[in-house]
Amino acid sequence: MGLKIKLNSVMVDDQDKALKFYTEVLGFAKGHDIDVGHGFRWITVFSQDGHPDVELALEPNANPAGKTFQAALFQQNIPATAFEVDDIDTEYRRLKALGVVFTTPPTQAGPVSIAVFADTCGNLLQIYQPPK
Amino acid sequence: MIFNGSTIAAPSRRNSAVRRLGRARDTLCQALDEKLTLDQVAREAALAPSQFIRAFKAVFGQTPHQVRIDARLELAKRLLITDSIPVTDVCVAVGFASLGTFSHVFRRRIGSSPSTFRREARTLVQVPGMLPLKLYPGCFTLMAYWPESAIFEKRAAAGSVKLHLPVQQVTPASEHQSWASRSS
Repeated sequence: MGLKIKLNSVMVDDQDKALKFYTEVLGFAKGHDIDVGHGFRWITVFSQDGHPDVELALEPNANPAGKTFQAALFQQNIPATAFEVDDIDTEYRRLKALGVVFTTPPTQAGPVSIAVFADTCGNLLQIYQPPK
Repeated sequence: MIFNGSTIAAPSRRNSAVRRLGRARDTLCQALDEKLTLDQVAREAALAPSQFIRAFKAVFGQTPHQVRIDARLELAKRLLITDSIPVTDVCVAVGFASLGTFSHVFRRRIGSSPSTFRREARTLVQVPGMLPLKLYPGCFTLMAYWPESAIFEKRAAAGSVKLHLPVQQVTPASEHQSWASRSS
């Protein structure tokens, strides 16, 4: 197979804050964390329950174009990306207990259940439970 | 991004509250040289000031005040690099009441004084079309494929950063550059 999907990214308004949220609240593990100069870092996280070779980069949205794009998605209630969960109700309760703000509670959307929440870094994120 | 708007029957009340908070955040990042009270912004989000601060922090991870200060510092950095106006004028343009406060906050958050930051960020030779790296990082997604030697150099400079690079093919730097310049 020629093409592989190994890397995804979300833009974040503060990389320190993002690393804390994505590891301590969402439960991902830290992959890379490398100072690349000028106050920016190459930070990735990966799912401890997923494939360790697939990483999510937490990209700084320092470019005004990035800020505009991120703010527009947020205003339109469009998640920046989505993560699969086994049990959406359990995950919803766990995240709520940690203070996460949901814009959409677990809701049936066709064959999947979805929920949308704020990541405290300027994005909305979606979790979804596929049909069993 | 996941376009799921059509699968949700109607926006919930929580959804519109978060959108109002998003608009309030936009307001906080605009007209930075003007005075903006907490009451004004809270009204925009249709919340009492104390509720507004709590809700704002839960959604954005920072207080409204911190967001406004960050926006002022971002604009200050841009002006310091791309404009030639004196530091005092930058201070006024981004809404700080005194030069002392501006310098103190700037040094604490950015790590150097405004004038040192300007000196270090500006180069003698300006390449047309190039954006200052201190303000605009390159495309981070492509950095996964930087040559490993470059990453190790960064790591050495950073000190004790733990590194576990996946074993992967390393593309020559020249090839990366050509892709980076086209894609970022």
